[in-house]
Amino acid sequence: MTTPSAPIVSMDVRHVGGGAAVVDIRGDVTATCEEPLMAAYEQASTGGTQRLVLNFTGLEYMNSSGIGMIVTLLVRANRQRQKLAAYGLTDHYRQIFELTRLDEAIGIFDTESAALAPASAS
Amino acid sequence: MTADRPNAGEVVLGEFAVSSEPGNERTALALVEGALNGRLNGEQLDRLKTAVAEATMNAIEHGNRNQPELEVVVRVLSSATGVTVTITDLGGEHAPSGPIVAPDLDEKLAGLQSPRGWGLFLIRHMVDAMDVSVDGVEHTVRLVMHVDAPAAAQREGARGDG
Repeated sequence: MTTPSAPIVSMDVRHVGGGAAVVDIRGDVTATCEEPLMAAYEQASTGGTQRLVLNFTGLEYMNSSGIGMIVTLLVRANRQRQKLAAYGLTDHYRQIFELTRLDEAIGIFDTESAALAPASAS
Repeated sequence: MTADRPNAGEVVLGEFAVSSEPGNERTALALVEGALNGRLNGEQLDRLKTAVAEATMNAIEHGNRNQPELEVVVRVLSSATGVTVTITDLGGEHAPSGPIVAPDLDEKLAGLQSPRGWGLFLIRHMVDAMDVSVDGVEHTVRLVMHVDAPAAAQREGARGDG
């Protein structure tokens, strides 16, 4: 088991109203980001958030461990009956979301406004 | 370490080693990108980089068991038909040599599989060909990307068997 080193990522949470929150992800999504990702999830979920949007515009690198972290986040969101959406993925990472079928469980959008539209989050 | 020998017609574009510490796959993929020097287009390069990163992570974690004094050797080769990257560790027989369980998102969401376990799946779907060889303690993963490969068809096929 790899011992994660210091995370090279920041995750800032914005509550944008309407029961939605956006997590702005900047940097690397790898095994090292478990703690900040789950902390961001907790912060985003306060106040009865029902739609959680992941902003990948600042994503620099994501590996298989990072995909595992997204799956863990999805499991937690499903348990809380929250809808998960994402935007800002490059074509390459969109392809990876399609390969892993994450795009079937997480709504993928081009823009934040589209991801936040009431009927958008899957 | 002897790494992997180039096949006939292959030219070595670069060879380097990284210590077996978590995160050093980033160093490996940057060095591979530099050695390729524009040999692949953007989409193919992104796919190869992801495969190199995952294979290097496996070599560090499962092959050399995160022992920093052990090196992972990465070699970049070019031929008339494409690009090959080999990643060699000193772990002998280990994953991805052996059988694997195909990751299934539904099972992961149901708690029947670990959320992790996507690495080999990604490697196999990112490159045009992959093979593994073991020579004593040396375990080598060979990743092949064909120049001008029908990338769209590859992706469709990958999605179909995922």
